[in-house]
Amino acid sequence: MSYTLRGRLESRLAALLPVVAAAALLALAEHKYWPVEAAALMLAVGIALDATVYHAFLSYQPGWASLPLGALELALVVALMHVAGVMAPLGQAFALFGAGWLLAQVLGHAGFPLLRLSYAEDGGELGRLGAAAAVSIGATLVAAGTTAYALSPPVVHLAAGVHQGPLVITHREVLVGDRGSVVRGGIVVKANGVTVKNVSVVGGENGITVENVRDTVLDGVSVSGARLDGIHVRLAGVMIKNCTVDMIGNHLGQGIDISYNMDMGMSMVEGCTVTGGMEGITTHSSMTQVMDNQVSRTTMRGISVTEMSMGMVMDNEVRDAHGIGIWCNDRSMCSIENNTVIDTTGAGYAILASFQSEADLRGNQLAANPIGAAAIESSEVRRDR
Amino acid sequence: MTVAIVGSGLAGFTAYQTLRRELEPEEIAVFGLDEDPAATFRRRAAAIRQREMRSESDGHCRPASFPGLSFGAAVRRRSVRPLVDTVRDRFHPTVPEFLAHVERLRSRSGWERSLHAQRIESVRAVDGGFELDGHGTFRHVLVAPGHPGLNVPDELAGDPRVVHAYEPHDYAATVTVVGAGLAAATEWLNALAAGSEVVSVRRREPVRQQLNVPREYLSRRALDHFHRLPAQERAARLASLLAPSYPTGRQWDEPLAHAAAEGRFRVEERVNGARQVICATGFRRGYAHDPLLARVVAEHGVETKDGWIVLARDGSIPSLTDATRTLALAGVAAQWAFPAADTLTGAKYIAHGFLRRCRTR
Repeated sequence: MSYTLRGRLESRLAALLPVVAAAALLALAEHKYWPVEAAALMLAVGIALDATVYHAFLSYQPGWASLPLGALELALVVALMHVAGVMAPLGQAFALFGAGWLLAQVLGHAGFPLLRLSYAEDGGELGRLGAAAAVSIGATLVAAGTTAYALSPPVVHLAAGVHQGPLVITHREVLVGDRGSVVRGGIVVKANGVTVKNVSVVGGENGITVENVRDTVLDGVSVSGARLDGIHVRLAGVMIKNCTVDMIGNHLGQGIDISYNMDMGMSMVEGCTVTGGMEGITTHSSMTQVMDNQVSRTTMRGISVTEMSMGMVMDNEVRDAHGIGIWCNDRSMCSIENNTVIDTTGAGYAILASFQSEADLRGNQLAANPIGAAAIESSEVRRDR
Repeated sequence: MTVAIVGSGLAGFTAYQTLRRELEPEEIAVFGLDEDPAATFRRRAAAIRQREMRSESDGHCRPASFPGLSFGAAVRRRSVRPLVDTVRDRFHPTVPEFLAHVERLRSRSGWERSLHAQRIESVRAVDGGFELDGHGTFRHVLVAPGHPGLNVPDELAGDPRVVHAYEPHDYAATVTVVGAGLAAATEWLNALAAGSEVVSVRRREPVRQQLNVPREYLSRRALDHFHRLPAQERAARLASLLAPSYPTGRQWDEPLAHAAAEGRFRVEERVNGARQVICATGFRRGYAHDPLLARVVAEHGVETKDGWIVLARDGSIPSLTDATRTLALAGVAAQWAFPAADTLTGAKYIAHGFLRRCRTR
């Protein structure tokens, strides 16, 4: 079809209208705004390409071109989601994009020509329908944005200085620590949808406890002096980013312990520095991605994925573990890629799979360890060819 | 009745199908001598032994481009190939498939109830519409007269060796084909397949393109600019757009290359001593060759340019059309409005514009 510029824009807006509306409804139902953000990015990428590239270079667009152009737009949308920090589950984001693309094909080839007989000869222009689609899409996005703003959790600022804990959070909120704010005695998260940002925690039974809740985000927190675990997660879904956990002197606790949340979807530990403790980062019966962390000086294991966990351990640096650098244990399935494990001490392993576990290894750097990678007790280590 | 179509060929038939979305058969009068709207096309396609349409999936007579003919072909052939070919712009319905499609539409659209087997020889503007040869006054009239006769170059007129490509014929041992369009290319292959030696006589190298005109001229993308051209430039652009062409593809090139290598195909500048001369030179061009259109122009002082009746972008004649009545042209006579008006896509374009005009009734 030979689109006019107006035709391209009107066709795109009209085809995306149901997607934007569905995304807005989904966001309202789930209290997650990534669908609207993703749909808005799809719209922005599409309009930008229409106006700058497609119109200039595609005087005629054959049907088959929808596939490569769709792939290009998907790549740009995913990249922009990453840059803009849109926290979307990738599978669902792909599904949203795929549904939008498919709907656009069906409407472009069948729906619009049936609705408007002169659709093809008008170069994709939809007349009043096009204008209505533009207004509707704008109104939907504005409404979704306004709703998101109105329903967004309250932001609570923790002033600089020492606050006596334990601090128990029982409502959905964003707790932001001002520079120099410290909570002594730990934080306990007891509500869904809580974000804790830039707060230092000193002492406490656990530094931060998250139990039986969903959608917790710990961003930029630092924990030290916990008697048991630095960050203790049970039956809860969490995203832990850019944290510091100091467990020096605590020979029995875990730096970050995420357990029994297999039914909560994917959790994540990313960009954290964990020092000391018996285990640096450990997951039990969990689906957790452990990425870009630095773990050192643990008394037993640096990173462990155990008790039927499924986990991806990527791009981490594990140093000075006394025993095992990365452990895949107890019928777990582990993907262990691009990690650096060095200076493991004792009679230990850089990477060990044990008790009927499966570990896929790719691109890991193992140096100065007593034993490199090994499998014991009916386990398997597969190395990428 | 307020709406009339003059001409019962494919352009008139396509307009009829579009009008039928909003009008009953009794509300539309169709004037023409052929009950079968594809009769003329059928004769010409048979004469040049055409097997496939040049048009693609949307080259049909239904008002909307969807569903295209590839859907039916996929079902009949029990194959997704037609759909895949459509996505690649490679699907061309066979002539029998197209004719069957026309017949299906004809039989279920009430065409016979609207058809009046009369030849209309004059269209006269009167108060409230147009009077058609004493058959009544109609507010909205679409004239789809078809091509105004076969074109044979003057220097070959009367030559006993000459046959037009669109007239029934066989092939002599040596055949000269005059022309450079799709009919000429089809005749080259036909004659070669019949074992003839073929000489192609043409004044210019043929343009190679999939459709009759570049695809952007099928939509407002290029049409908006075309419609804004001053009359002289527009006539010149039209002349260049309508230069003879035939599609690209190995099915055309390979047989010609093989025949040329064997010395059975060559290009020459003029007709020589061939025993048979096939004129694949298309049709006469210009309203003056059509008695009905010539009379409309003469009686109403309609504006013309270089043989074309000057039309509005929807194919209507501006000086005879207003909010209360419409006189529009379809088919080859409407190329001033839509360069590919002599195609099925063009017939739909004109039909859509005419339907919009009829909504003022």
